Amino acid sequence: MEPSGYMPIVLQSLVALGFVALVLIVVPLLGPRRKSDKKNENFECGIEGQGNARMPVSIKYLMTAILFVLFDVEVIFFYPYAVNFREMGFNGFFAVLMFVGVFLLGFYYVLRKGAFEWDR
Amino acid sequence: MTLYIFLTLAIVSVITALLMVFSRNPVHSVLFLILTFFAIAGQYVLLNAQFLAVVHIIVYAGAIMVLFLFVLMMLNLNSETEPQKSTMWKIMAAIAAGSLLLTLTGALRGSVQLATPVQSNPRVGLVENLGKVLFTDFVVPFEIAGILFLAAMVGAVLVGKKDLKL
Amino acid sequence: MEELRTIPIEYYLYLSTVLFCIGVLGVLMRRNAIVVLMCVELMLNAVNLLLAAFSTYLSDAQGQIMVFFIMVVAAAEAAVGLGILVMIYRNTKSTDISLLDKLRN
Repeated sequence: MEPSGYMPIVLQSLVALGFVALVLIVVPLLGPRRKSDKKNENFECGIEGQGNARMPVSIKYLMTAILFVLFDVEVIFFYPYAVNFREMGFNGFFAVLMFVGVFLLGFYYVLRKGAFEWDR
Repeated sequence: MTLYIFLTLAIVSVITALLMVFSRNPVHSVLFLILTFFAIAGQYVLLNAQFLAVVHIIVYAGAIMVLFLFVLMMLNLNSETEPQKSTMWKIMAAIAAGSLLLTLTGALRGSVQLATPVQSNPRVGLVENLGKVLFTDFVVPFEIAGILFLAAMVGAVLVGKKDLKL
Repeated sequence: MEELRTIPIEYYLYLSTVLFCIGVLGVLMRRNAIVVLMCVELMLNAVNLLLAAFSTYLSDAQGQIMVFFIMVVAAAEAAVGLGILVMIYRNTKSTDISLLDKLRN
């Protein structure tokens, strides 16, 4: 496609971004503003806020995240195969079957090792 | 027009990459690197490699960088806990990288004999064409990539799970 | 496609060289091992960009297939590398690479 063929997409994203920027700029201008230390606190009454907003995430999610990345990369190979599904015939099918077989083997290993068991 | 888009994307990618290297907070580094990746995806679109651009965003910005960000948040690393090298070491690193850049650009100057393409084919970067090449000429590397994934999975589980059920 | 030729291939060469050198700079300069891994990803991306540029200019799809395999390797590397880093953090409570010189002597 010619680069000029991307004009609708560029226009659409410009409109979307522009709307967000416009709202973000206009709203504080229209509304009344009263700033003080008390107003800027998270809770006006009750417990006082302390510490950083970045909470440490539990390590239990680590295996899930790592395995998600590994399985996510499959999309590189499956999408071209899905587009060419008919022309490939059985040759392509067996190639992909072998690939998926290797992946399922890995998945079975991961399950047997208990990487997804939550309370351990 | 195309040249201006190219230059804008190139400048954005270089600036965000520099900010990635120089920002103290590792979380900011990750966010700047994601911006760099988006600029590189723009270059892919400019190169008529649309599928590559989409996959680049899905895999890099969507999966790998999220994993990095996740690990940073999990370890709770901030700019306060960030270890810093001494200024001397930083200057030496800058000199080393700068001389590598000088050497490479000096070697590249006038070395490319590639003129404009003989016969341009705008359909090269489409999914259909890529799939045909991938599943005819590159079947063996494709299967080996599967085995690499198996090895990575086994390695990640063995390393990451402390109390294994053997 | 006709418009694309207004950009000489040398520009892509120089851009990816600059990105690669920024990656090298980051690897030499930072001490946080996670940021060092990120800089390695940036270097891989510089190479990817060059492969894609040559693939388009030569009208040959093989360069883009190579980029796919590089992405696969990058994903596997990030997954295993971060797993190792988290385990190092569990033992040493730090991601400083200069602490990891136990094999030196």
